[in-house]
Amino acid sequence: MSPEPYDRDLTLPPPRLSVGAAGWVRANLFGTWYDGVLTLVCAAALALALWFGLVWVFRDADWGVVATLGGNFAIGQYNTEAACPGKNCFWRPQVVLLLVTMFLGMSWGLTKSGIARTVAILVASAAAAFAFLPYSMEKMGMDVRVLLLANAPALGAGWAIARHTSMSVRWFIILGVAAFLLSLGLLRGLPGMQPVPTIYWGGLMLNLLLAVGGIAASLPIGVALALGRRSRLPVVKVMCVTFIEVFRGVPLITLLFMSQVLVPLAFPEDFPLNSVARAGIIITLFSAAYMAENVRGGLQALDPGQMEAARALGLAAWQTTLLISLPQALRNVIPAIAGQFIGLFKDTSLVYIIGMLDVVEIGRAFILGNPEYLENARELFVFLALVFWIFTYGMSYVSRRIEYHLGVGKR
Amino acid sequence: MAQLPRTLTYQGIPVWRHLLVIQWTTQIVSAIVVVALVVWFFANIGGAIQDRDIPYGFSFLSREYQTPIGDHLIPYESSDTFLYALFVATTNTVVVAVAGVILATLLGIVIGVARLSGNWLVSKLALVYVEFFRNVPLLVQLLFWFYLMLTLPTVRDGHVVAGRIYVNNSGISIPWLSGSGGALTWLALAGAAVVIGVVVHRLLVRREVETGRASYPLMAGFAAAFVVGAVSWLAIGAGGEAPFVISLPGPEGRFGRIAGGFTIRAGLLVLLIGLVMYTAAFIAEIVRAGIQSVVRGQVEASRALGLSPLEALRHVVFPQALRVIIPPTISQYLNLTKNSSLGGAVGYAELTNVGITMTQTAPAVSIFILIMLVYLATSLTWSLIGNLYNRYVGFSWG
Repeated sequence: MSPEPYDRDLTLPPPRLSVGAAGWVRANLFGTWYDGVLTLVCAAALALALWFGLVWVFRDADWGVVATLGGNFAIGQYNTEAACPGKNCFWRPQVVLLLVTMFLGMSWGLTKSGIARTVAILVASAAAAFAFLPYSMEKMGMDVRVLLLANAPALGAGWAIARHTSMSVRWFIILGVAAFLLSLGLLRGLPGMQPVPTIYWGGLMLNLLLAVGGIAASLPIGVALALGRRSRLPVVKVMCVTFIEVFRGVPLITLLFMSQVLVPLAFPEDFPLNSVARAGIIITLFSAAYMAENVRGGLQALDPGQMEAARALGLAAWQTTLLISLPQALRNVIPAIAGQFIGLFKDTSLVYIIGMLDVVEIGRAFILGNPEYLENARELFVFLALVFWIFTYGMSYVSRRIEYHLGVGKR
Repeated sequence: MAQLPRTLTYQGIPVWRHLLVIQWTTQIVSAIVVVALVVWFFANIGGAIQDRDIPYGFSFLSREYQTPIGDHLIPYESSDTFLYALFVATTNTVVVAVAGVILATLLGIVIGVARLSGNWLVSKLALVYVEFFRNVPLLVQLLFWFYLMLTLPTVRDGHVVAGRIYVNNSGISIPWLSGSGGALTWLALAGAAVVIGVVVHRLLVRREVETGRASYPLMAGFAAAFVVGAVSWLAIGAGGEAPFVISLPGPEGRFGRIAGGFTIRAGLLVLLIGLVMYTAAFIAEIVRAGIQSVVRGQVEASRALGLSPLEALRHVVFPQALRVIIPPTISQYLNLTKNSSLGGAVGYAELTNVGITMTQTAPAVSIFILIMLVYLATSLTWSLIGNLYNRYVGFSWG
């Protein structure tokens, strides 16, 4: 029998200043004298910044410029008279948006994971909420509003399809690619419809199209390049290294500009490679070169015992790569891959260099064309920064959740 | 006579499954495909150039450029050649890259350390900074700063801060040193003074190590450098004017243009602010990850040995963290250099901007080949620095 370590009746409560809110403040804000000074200085700076920031946002700033541009931010000049003469083409991007929410609903129904649900519901409700923007009915008609509201049932439909049919992930991916191509066709104009030249594609729609296409294509290309770079075949290796280093070594806008100059020369004049496709290809290849380096990092970090064990079990080289090394390598570099995707999305703002009106360039062109709004440029770019931030922060949030679900760093 | 049935004799791997055959076929086929594509691509370009009578080649380089370049560190006239104009533009890119790298590193370290501060408020502020500036496209940030700068008062009714700092929409002018005739001589002597200081420091350190007597190497080194520098300053000053005098900016002439002092033009200023704040957010994350990669026991052990928190950071944590920090940081330096190509959006005459302007009067393909080569050379330089560092680290600490 061990002796009682202390007399319970004599134990004193902890000092009041070291527990609870007071204790937290003392430990985290006023630990030492310089911590205290730092806290006070930062708090004062923060208070000042918040005060002036809020006064500006709610009193001094004139957000009229954002309202004036309105739908242009979303689809650029897509629905102007020049792009779609005599007809109203607004519904095409909206149908594409419906497809997107439907697919988000499907991924929710398919994975049943909390993060797919969160993203799907957020996107669909945000889209539906736009139906209630306080524009006049002339500027934003009932048809537009109804199609926006339809995002909510589209989400439900996608979810139901995935839940009540035995849809596999493979089918989901095939359907996704098909829907992406269908969206491109719809925007361009399917046979029998009024074609809309790609030069009029713009706004956030353009950024998202380029980003989605680029993300989907740059990962496989990047993986192939990474494998090629690690290949023992000297010819393959040299070609991959050259490609990666050249594309990583020059700024994206010089590549975009070069494509603008070279492609019309290199291909026959009627070659169907419009500016959107050109920008998409260049952005994809640029991103793939970076992706290759990320994947290579993941491959190099793998324990060689994994590959040796796989070979010892009798797996062929391609099986070892596809089933053993790549899954582990990719899982380990999820943060880097997500960072690259975010970078790709941010880079879509550079297409201004080849004369495309993406969401940033729409704003800039508006300021250039309407100098009376010069004073409002800061409202405009604060708004654009917020728009991009919502998307990029959402992407990094999703990547962190995926990483958590796959148990990276836990084994 | 037992004879082995023919079917059991080993005939070797069939040719098409032989590893060497597969490997060589893959290589040859892929090489042929790539070479064919490249040849087809350039043959088309060559054909198009001939058919459509498009100018090509590099003979334009010796022609006069005949266009002003807004910012130039080295003298430039419109009558200079294309080649020289490209060189001027390259120096502009180098200016922004070097200044940007230094400032972004300093800011990035401060924010990265602040992220790990025990002070809740400081670490959260740093987090907000990183999450915001990292996630917004550089172009949007640049344009925000650019239009903020544009809405400042013009030079004519520009305003003055703290008596002698002129702020207007074409730049900021601050008091600066202006060199006189003896400036170069003094700079050379000052360089010699630094060398003397270092030598004195080395000698005294050796003496201290060998004899054990306190020799104050640091103080003596600084003193030696200071004395040499001061004496040469006075010697040059005695002959007439001091090597450097303070030059104050001030309005001049009918249009109130600011003369004197040191003026950072708006384009450069905006580009620097944008690049530094953007890149610092990335560097801060690298610094944080690097410091966190050092095992906690290291800090605890050094604290147990009696080092102060700052000493532990300086002598134990940082040297180990640097090995993790440096390689990705160098790739951020490379990114900063490449991102300076956005200077065109804010009116700074860096390489890409000048190149795009040049395409109006010279063959675009040739110009952009040259520009891409310059960027490639820059990125190879950065990789070289990175590799040298890795080797150095491998030898000294590995």
